[in-house]
Amino acid sequence: MHAEQLKGHLDALLLAALEDGPRHGYAVMEALRESTGGRLALPTGTIYPALHRLEAAGLIAGSWSVVTGRRRRCYTLTGAGELALSGRRAEWRDFAAVIGAALEGKPWPSTA
Amino acid sequence: MAEHCLIADYHAALAAGLPAELADEVIDGLIEADAKYRQQGLDAENAARAAITEFGEPSLVVEEFTRVSPAKRIARRLMVTGPVVGLCWGAALIDARAWQWPVPGLIRLALGAVLAASVIVLVIAVLARRYRRVHRASMVACIGLAALDALAVTAALVGAPSFGWLLGLAACVSTARLTFVARSFRRVLACN
Repeated sequence: MHAEQLKGHLDALLLAALEDGPRHGYAVMEALRESTGGRLALPTGTIYPALHRLEAAGLIAGSWSVVTGRRRRCYTLTGAGELALSGRRAEWRDFAAVIGAALEGKPWPSTA
Repeated sequence: MAEHCLIADYHAALAAGLPAELADEVIDGLIEADAKYRQQGLDAENAARAAITEFGEPSLVVEEFTRVSPAKRIARRLMVTGPVVGLCWGAALIDARAWQWPVPGLIRLALGAVLAASVIVLVIAVLARRYRRVHRASMVACIGLAALDALAVTAALVGAPSFGWLLGLAACVSTARLTFVARSFRRVLACN
């Protein structure tokens, strides 16, 4: 799955990778790789600007620490980030159900 | 574990285009990736190459950071809102017959020059693909527009014979932009 196909979904993926607790940039990428079975073909270097964008939006918070003599920036999900993630999950479920129903030729479940 | 020369070169390429904090953060990840590939059995040279391939070219990382930088975002907002502010002042100054105000020609010329220079650096900030150029241009544009707004509001309050609603609207719009610029300037300063 290439970067082009991920457009619009990367933010939700990054937020989901931080749901289990604080992670630094490379650990976020490793978590994504693990959860997707390594099928994300995204240059790891581009994860960092995306994390900074999410931080500027207040969805995650970053803090510096020193690990084995190197400065490391770790990120945690904020309250706004948790809300955004649950919203994106609900949107994705609706989207997948509608498109799945259309592509599989099954009727969309009626709520009536 | 010593940093492989390929990783040191990558670090230097990032540091040339980005603030030290951003370069350090990416390099921390790159060193993690390098260590992972070494643990998988690759020799130092191939582990460093694999890590760099995984991260992408330094130019790509710099470009992405530039695209999402606070300076770029602020410049885009100022660019979008600029015509609205200009339109408000244009209408207000025509309505107030500003050409009859007792403002020396040199000051009029200086204001026009600051406006033109601010617009030019704003365009540079929006279009530039180098992080530091975007940062510098955005800061200069912030200073120029803040000076213009402050001068315009002061001139309207002090120099205008009568203060109509159009001048009031223009002054309010400029004050709002001034507040935005002051807050943004702090954010841009913090990112270097």
